[in-house]
Amino acid sequence: MTVVAPVLETNPLREGLEQERVPDASCLVIFGASGDLTHRKLLPALYSLAHDGLLPSGQTIIGFARPDYTDDAFRMDIREACNKYARTRPVDEAVWENFAKGLFYVQGDFGDSAAYLRLKDKLAECDKTRGTGGRRLYYLAVPPNFFPVICEFLGGEGMVTDPERGGPYTRAIIEKPFGHDLASAKELNRVAVTTFRERQVFRIDHYLGKETVQNLMVLRFANGIFEPFWNRQYIDHVQLTVAESLGVEKRGNYFDNAGIARDIIQNHMLQLLSLTAMEPPVAFDADAVRDEKVKVLRALREFPKGNEESMAVRGQYTDGSVLGELAPGYRKEENVRPDSHTETFAALKVYIDNWRWADVPFYLRAGKRLPKRVTDISIQFRPAPYPLFKKVSGVRTQPNVLAIRIQPDEGISLKFDSKVPGPVVRTAPVTMEFRYATSFGAEPPEAYERLLLETMLGDSTLFARRDEVETAWAWLDPLLTAWASDARMPDAYPAGTWGPDAADALLAADGRKWRRP
Amino acid sequence: MTADELTSGHDVKVDSASIEETLAELWRVEKKDHDNAVTRAALWNVVAHSATPEHHTEASEVLGKTSIVVPQRTIVVRATPAGPTEMSSWISANCHLLGEGKQVCSEEIAIIAGGDRVARVPPLVSALLIPDMPVAVWWLGDLPHENAAYVAALLEPADRLIVDSAAFDNPADLEIVARVAQKTMTAPADLNWIRLEEWRIATASLFDPPEMRSKLAHVRRIRILTDCMQQNYFGERIEGLLFASWILAQAGCEIERVDLEIEERQSLRRGLLRVGVTMEDGSVAYVERDLERGILITRYDGHVIVPEGVTRAQKRTTDQLIVRELNDPSSDRLLLKVLPVSVELAKRVA
Repeated sequence: MTVVAPVLETNPLREGLEQERVPDASCLVIFGASGDLTHRKLLPALYSLAHDGLLPSGQTIIGFARPDYTDDAFRMDIREACNKYARTRPVDEAVWENFAKGLFYVQGDFGDSAAYLRLKDKLAECDKTRGTGGRRLYYLAVPPNFFPVICEFLGGEGMVTDPERGGPYTRAIIEKPFGHDLASAKELNRVAVTTFRERQVFRIDHYLGKETVQNLMVLRFANGIFEPFWNRQYIDHVQLTVAESLGVEKRGNYFDNAGIARDIIQNHMLQLLSLTAMEPPVAFDADAVRDEKVKVLRALREFPKGNEESMAVRGQYTDGSVLGELAPGYRKEENVRPDSHTETFAALKVYIDNWRWADVPFYLRAGKRLPKRVTDISIQFRPAPYPLFKKVSGVRTQPNVLAIRIQPDEGISLKFDSKVPGPVVRTAPVTMEFRYATSFGAEPPEAYERLLLETMLGDSTLFARRDEVETAWAWLDPLLTAWASDARMPDAYPAGTWGPDAADALLAADGRKWRRP
Repeated sequence: MTADELTSGHDVKVDSASIEETLAELWRVEKKDHDNAVTRAALWNVVAHSATPEHHTEASEVLGKTSIVVPQRTIVVRATPAGPTEMSSWISANCHLLGEGKQVCSEEIAIIAGGDRVARVPPLVSALLIPDMPVAVWWLGDLPHENAAYVAALLEPADRLIVDSAAFDNPADLEIVARVAQKTMTAPADLNWIRLEEWRIATASLFDPPEMRSKLAHVRRIRILTDCMQQNYFGERIEGLLFASWILAQAGCEIERVDLEIEERQSLRRGLLRVGVTMEDGSVAYVERDLERGILITRYDGHVIVPEGVTRAQKRTTDQLIVRELNDPSSDRLLLKVLPVSVELAKRVA
C-alpha cells in the first residue's frame, strides 16, 4: 500500500524569507500585449518580480495581440522595454534568460475564434512543460469596448475554470476606466460576471499599489495615537490634492472625452478618501476592508441639484509656464477639440454623512498643469478648546496639520506650535517629519509589481470591488451630468498655477484656504 | 571644532562625560548657520564591539556605509582589558546628500578603553543610547568565553546581537549564541546566516509546486560542497551546517535519519558551491552556484515538473549584510529554531 503524504498548504522553506509568499506557477495572458501599458508597466514589473525572486520558476507569460510577432521577436521587444522601464534595469543577463524562457506570443484578433484555439493549445502546452497546472490569469490591457468579445470567447472556449467547481483558478484583471458613467460601468460589470464570478475579477487602480497608500491603513490602525482623534470632534477639515505638472501628453483623445473628474476623482481620489475616512475593518482581508470603503462612498452627500457650484468648481488651463517651461493651453494640445469644455481641474467640497464625519468638509482638488506633481492628504485639526495665549502678543497659534505625502518624496509630517526660545512668550510652527527616503532608503517596488503579485496570490484587498466602482459612479454621475448640460466654459487658470480663483473661493467661503503642498 | 567639520566627517576628540552635550551644541550651531540644511536621523542604536585596532577601523568603515541606508547612532567600542589603562572618545558624523542641498547625518561615537577602564564601557554605552530606538550590538571577531559579566552588561540593553559565525573557531561559540537566544531578551543574528539567504530562496523555489512540498518530509541525504580558504577551520563549515540545519528544522526530519556530508574544497574564497537534497524516492533537488554569472541554478531530478530556476546571488559585503539585518525590525525567529539543530549537527561533524 502506498501512503500519500498530504499536500502542505504552504512551503515551510519560505518561512522567514522576504519572499515568504510566492504564488504557484500560472499562465498570465496579456490581451493587448503590443500596447503601451504592457511595455511600460506590466512586463517591466513582471521582470522586476522575477529579478527579486518573487515569481515561481514555472511562471509563464503569453502576449496576445494583433501584430505579427514570433516568440523571439516579442522577447526582444520586451527585453528592450525592461531595459528602459523596469525598476531593476538594466536587465540581468542570467535572470532575463530564465525569464524569457517563460515568455510566449500568440498572434490574433480579439474577435477571431481561431486565435483563441491557438491560445488554448499554447496554454495546454505550457501546463505540460512548465508545470502551470491549468492556472490562468487574463490581463485585459485593452480599451473597455473589447471586454465583451474577449470574455465571450474565453467563456465559450471553456478557458475559464473555478476551484469551487473543481478546477484550477482563473482570474481576470481589468484596467480603468471602469466605465464612463454609472450605466456603462454597470454594463461592464454585467459583461464580466457573465463569464467570471465577482471574486475572479481584479479591477486595478494602481494608486492602491503604492506603498504610501497602503501605509494609510498602517498609520491609522497599527498606531494607537491617531484613531482617538480621527473624527469630527478633533478634525476641522481634510484636504486631498492630486496635482500633475504635465498636460494630457499623448492621451488627448481619451482625456478630452473623460476630463479630470472621470480620470482621477472617480477612482484614485475616492480610493484615497475612503481609506482616509473608513471605519476600522473587522479584519485585514479583502472583503472586510472593501466593505468599510464602500460604506464611506455610500455616505457621500449628494451634490445639491441646480446648485452644484456651491460644492464643485471646474477649470481648464490656458497658456502659462510650468517649472520654468512654457506650457500651451489645453485647447492647443494634440487631439483636443479647439472648443473643448472638458475640465482639466476640479475642486470639490465633500461631506460624509455618518457618525464619525458629520459636517467635516473634505476638500478634493485634482488638476493638470499645476505647479508641481504632488499627491497629498492633509488632516487639519481643530484649535485648542480654550485660547490660553490669546492676550499674549507675539502668539499666533496655528492649527495642527498631519500631512501625508503620497508622492513624490513620500512621508508624513506633523505641524504644531512651539515656544521660540527667549525671555518672552512667542510661538512658531514647527514640523516633525518622517520621510521614507531618509528612514528606509530602499526604493519601494512599483505599484504594478505589488498588484500583479497580489493577483497571482489571489488577494483582492488592493483591488476595487464591483459595488465600490458603481457606488462611486452613482455619486459622481449627477455632477458630471450637470457639467455636461452647462454651456459655460470651465473657469480658466494659467498653466503653472493652483487652479482657478473659484477654487480658492470655495474654501474662502468657509473661512479656510488650500494648504500649499 | 565647528559643526561644518563634524558634518564633513572629521573626528572630534571629546571628554567621555560630555559627549551628548558636545553633540547637541554642534547641531545647534549647525542649525543656526545653515538653517534646515542638515537632518539628523536614527532608526537604530548600533554598538560595534572590537578588541583590535583593525576590527575597530573595519567597524567604523562598515557602519559609516550602513548609516547611509539605515540611519543610526553608531557607537564603536575598542576594549582591551589586557592593554594599558586608558579611556578616550571621539565624535563624528556620517553624512550624505539627499538632494536640494540637504544632508542627512548619523552620529558616530568612538570609545577606546583599556585596562581596568574597560569595566566603565557598558554604563557609558548605555547612557549614550538614543531612547526608544532599538539597540544592536555587533561583536567583531571570536566570542569571548571569559568575562561573562562584562558581556552581559553590554548586551543588557541590546535587542539584537550580531555575530559572524564564519569567525568562530569551535562549536562552543555556536553554543554561546544559542544560549543568548535561550536565556536573554537579546535576539541573535548571524551574518553567515544572512549569507545563506539566496541559497534558501533558491532551495525554497524547488519546493514551491504543491506536489513538491510533501517530499520535504522524506529527505534522506544532504550533500554540500563548499569553498573554504582554511581547511578544517570550524568557521568555514558553519555555512553548510546552518543550511543543513535549516532544511532539517523546516522539513521536520529527525537528525539521525538524514545523512549529512559537507565536503570542503580549498579555494581563495569561501561559501557554498553546490547542494544536493536527496529524497526517499531517489529524486534529488540541486542548487548550484554559477560564480561567473552571479547566480544560483536550481534543478530537480524526479517525476514532478519543476523548470530550471535562477536566483541572483551576488556577493554581499559586510555593510550590506548588516543593512539586511537592521532592515528587519523583528528578530529572526527562524534562526532561533535553526541554532539548536546546528549545535547538535556541529557535534556530529566536529
